[in-house]
Amino acid sequence: MHTSTPRGYVRMPDIEFKSPISYGPISAPDGSVTVEDETATAKIVVRAAAGTAAAADLAVPFGQSRLRADGTLVCGTRPDEWTLFAAIDRATEVAASVNAEGFVSVVDITHGRAMMRVSGPKATAVLAKVCNLDLADDMTPDGAVFSGSVAEVTCDLLRSDRAGVASYLISCERSFGNYVFAALVDASTEFGAQLPAGLSIH
Amino acid sequence: MTDNRLPQRPGEVIDRDTSLAFTWNGQGYTGYQGDTIASALAAGGVEVFARSMKYKRQRGIMTADHWDPNLFVQVGDEPNVRAGSRRLIAGMEVSAQNVWPSLRFDVGAVNQLVGRFLSVGFYYKTFMRPKWFWHNVYQKVLRKFAPGGRIFWETSAHGAYDKRFAHPDVLVAGGGPAGMGAAIAAAETGASVMLVEHEPDLGGHLRWGDADDLAALAELISAVEAHPGIEVVIDSTVTGRYDHNWMAVMQRSHPIAPERLIKARANSLVVAPGLIERPYIFAGNDTPGVMLSGTVRRLINLWAVKPGSKAVVLSANSEGDAAIADLEAAGVEIVAALDVRAGEDIVEVQGRGRVSKVVLGDGRTVSADLVVIGTGWTAPTSLLNMAGDRPVYDASAARYFSNQLPDSVLATGGITGNGTTAELVAHGKATGALAANRALRNRHDRRSLSARARNPDGPRPESLADTRTPLARVPHPECYRSSTHGMVDLSEDVSSKDLVQAAKEGFDSIELMKRYTTVTMGPSQGKLETVNAAAVLAEARNMSMVDIGTTVWRPPYAPISLGALAGRIFEPIRRSALQDWHEAHGASPLLAGQWIRPDHYGDPTGEALNVRENVGIIDVTPLGKLDLRGPDVTKLLELVYVNKWQKLDIGRVRYGAMVAEDGVVSDDGVTSRLGENHYLMTCTSSGAGAVWEMLEDYLQTYRPEWDVHVTAVTGGLTSINVAGPKCREVLLRLVEGVDLSPEAFPYFHVRRGTVAGVADCIIWRIGFTGELSYELHVPSGHALHVWESLLTSGEDLGIRTFGVEAQRILRLEKGHYIVGQDTDGLTKAPTAGLGGLVKLDKPDTIGLPELKAAYARTDLPILVAIQPDDPQVVPMEADQIVDGESNRILGRITSSRMSPSLGRSVCLGQVDPSLAAAGTKVTILLIDGRRIIGTVQEHHAHIDPEGVRQNA
Repeated sequence: MHTSTPRGYVRMPDIEFKSPISYGPISAPDGSVTVEDETATAKIVVRAAAGTAAAADLAVPFGQSRLRADGTLVCGTRPDEWTLFAAIDRATEVAASVNAEGFVSVVDITHGRAMMRVSGPKATAVLAKVCNLDLADDMTPDGAVFSGSVAEVTCDLLRSDRAGVASYLISCERSFGNYVFAALVDASTEFGAQLPAGLSIH
Repeated sequence: MTDNRLPQRPGEVIDRDTSLAFTWNGQGYTGYQGDTIASALAAGGVEVFARSMKYKRQRGIMTADHWDPNLFVQVGDEPNVRAGSRRLIAGMEVSAQNVWPSLRFDVGAVNQLVGRFLSVGFYYKTFMRPKWFWHNVYQKVLRKFAPGGRIFWETSAHGAYDKRFAHPDVLVAGGGPAGMGAAIAAAETGASVMLVEHEPDLGGHLRWGDADDLAALAELISAVEAHPGIEVVIDSTVTGRYDHNWMAVMQRSHPIAPERLIKARANSLVVAPGLIERPYIFAGNDTPGVMLSGTVRRLINLWAVKPGSKAVVLSANSEGDAAIADLEAAGVEIVAALDVRAGEDIVEVQGRGRVSKVVLGDGRTVSADLVVIGTGWTAPTSLLNMAGDRPVYDASAARYFSNQLPDSVLATGGITGNGTTAELVAHGKATGALAANRALRNRHDRRSLSARARNPDGPRPESLADTRTPLARVPHPECYRSSTHGMVDLSEDVSSKDLVQAAKEGFDSIELMKRYTTVTMGPSQGKLETVNAAAVLAEARNMSMVDIGTTVWRPPYAPISLGALAGRIFEPIRRSALQDWHEAHGASPLLAGQWIRPDHYGDPTGEALNVRENVGIIDVTPLGKLDLRGPDVTKLLELVYVNKWQKLDIGRVRYGAMVAEDGVVSDDGVTSRLGENHYLMTCTSSGAGAVWEMLEDYLQTYRPEWDVHVTAVTGGLTSINVAGPKCREVLLRLVEGVDLSPEAFPYFHVRRGTVAGVADCIIWRIGFTGELSYELHVPSGHALHVWESLLTSGEDLGIRTFGVEAQRILRLEKGHYIVGQDTDGLTKAPTAGLGGLVKLDKPDTIGLPELKAAYARTDLPILVAIQPDDPQVVPMEADQIVDGESNRILGRITSSRMSPSLGRSVCLGQVDPSLAAAGTKVTILLIDGRRIIGTVQEHHAHIDPEGVRQNA
């Protein structure tokens, strides 16, 4: 580790963590799709060259993910790059858990990324309205990690099914969060979801 | 009102239990569920649906499907609705379009009388001169005659258009027997299939066929519907095929939108559009009552509409023969059944508003109200053309056939040959299986190579050989034109006589003739007229059809609306963590790139003054911020900045400027050293993305051996500039763990500390306003708390928020330039005044050779501060600096404002080096034509050039 900088923001228990998305879960009446904010999640990005202990410890290939025993979700976001997701109060702990020997960077991006989940039987159809990637089950199976344009914003995506039902975690640069959330709800209107007043893609 | 509805037909698609009331030109009509607009009107006795584009000739049903050139109508606020395929809905307000004053009497019909003067090329020849007439007269008049319906763009309740993406293994274009067969076989092989049919129902010609056809259709539809791997998309058209099998599918009448563009990328494309029956050229061939054989069969068998009472039928094939049987079954008297194969012909049709007499080839004239033409088909090879194919004409079959296709594109059905239903389905199935095999082999490769995909379940499928038995090419007479001339292109009112004339004028290649006459360029896009046009040209030039060739069919296959192409308009908007607060407190929004920012809170001048006198805070989050880590960051900074970075100590901040490889100033900002190998770089808001990309580009391609990690943290750190003489006092109340005294924390230094209880904030002592100021970089999730704490803590000190406009005033007073505002795409470092910063002795810097060359020049413009001699005049940005009373340009104003602190205007401008010396008088040409004098100042800064205030 080449810095003395703190490796994770200390959570301020008395100060509210504000998400860029100020809407609760929005669902179609039949439950076919739900869009919800999950920004309040610890997000640690680790960049580690091949051969480092960190890379060996994380042990998740690019494009795939693994839920660690401690509840941390490890995603192979890019070659030699991982994003670790955990409960928001574990940011410092998760960052500290990374073996920093060698050329390794650990950056807490909890505050820098908005994150939302699209889930339900129609989740894939909703995402296919704003994302041009092949979302077929064999091309992006449960656990797949990939990047792409969502409503023309570069996003990191994770297929993270719930009880066998399609579900996607989508994260983007924080300042786009409200817009991407609006775009996903807008796409969900085909299946019955309603855009709340004040939420628009324009 | 005439009732042309027949007793129930075996294959009719109407629901006689559901009546639908609608209006046609204001008059009430009733149709049934399942009717098209056209079939309902025809059942109600309507014979004339439209006027032609140029001559305003009365037009009736020609094809009764999506391609009918005579069935474009206005439905409510929607123009150009294809009445031949649009399903009837109760309450529709349907009207004829482009008629005046009415469909029955259109004054434009006078064109028929002067038609001989409106020959081909009339517009080109007539409206060229005099030149100024075009804008003032011709254009205004011609627009009144422009075809198409009325648009109501300001009041339309049409809703938004939509878009989606799809990745089927196999896309089948055409839902007839061969297309459905292909879809079934492909799906049975395990491929995902999208089956697209441009009519509202699957089935193709089986729909209006006999009992055997209907039985086969039911069986095929049942198989399609039963297969979960097939997505059926009806009332939709594959409008284009692009590289790598990227297909544009235009989906109509979807509940979510009037039209939806499906962007489909398929591994294999199966083209199965069937055949399109083509008209026959003879005098009066566009008279209402002249229909194609398939048209009458559709009217009779799908919608139980009797198309006429007394018919003359001209047949050259089995479809024409079948039409005779259907007409007889519908109670239509066959006045003459003419067989082309026996040399019989039609010469002319007479009648106004409806066929009344028919002159036959043998010289007889008979009375009839219906003429049925069955003289051949056009092979709609558009998608094949788009895949690189150049179809070849086969004289024996009188149509074009595919020549050469890539492996990923296959054709089946009528476009490849003739066959019974069973033969068509069999060919379709063989094609579908082959397409699926190729697609699944491709999919296997992609799954094997993709990091995120599930590994293939088994070995790559063996390649399937193409062992399909070709469909037969049944001989068909070449039957294009009678001994008389008639309409070729009914959309554009282009006759065979026009084409012959064009050939005589030298437009004798099919491509030139097309552009000169506009034949095939109307809404039909050649579906009905391409082959006839080529035949007329071949005849005129006494050449063979093979040698004449055809026009190239390009996307779109059928006209589509611009709204559908646009789809949902995605305009990503970036918002800082404080934007909600700004909006709740009256901020006037400013769109700066993708960011929405507070321009001001109602009083930009007051906001600026308050910063000079008290303290202000501004949200500067859009400032690009990059977290740099690694032992080689210094090398990277040396490379990308024009100045030196080797000796930047931990805790220090330094300004840096970047130039591109051509030496033009590209970005600037400050970078701080937070730790041994940890830096925070800032860059301009608009340049943030480009700088990040540039750093990664150089690290990955030029210096991959350097150990540097770059992480964008722009949105993660909310940036708040606290500026003004009382700013330190405010921060002393909120900051923990940092000595804010000027001795311990001087200008251009950085500290980390806790602000308002929020730990890990980065505090820079820098400023853009010229005042004592600190820039706080706060974890964004807690930014609102810090912002509100600042306002509360500084209330007694007069703290106020200020927006971008106040900041622009303040920075201009201080003489700070903005890259992109005071520089442009030609501004090199010497112009921007970077002389003291640029180090030409560095071993390597981006743009170094150009920098050296630039500093050797003496002719580059110089950025200077300018004071208008009349202090109340504020030149506009981009006003030119000229040479006295002449208009020779010697520079321009790049920034200008009225300074509330100084009570006078302040400017920056680029000037010719001969004008750059302090005290030089320059002439500024204002936008209203006045010329004012300004004086070049000694410093860029109009306020505090010594920096006493910022260094306090």
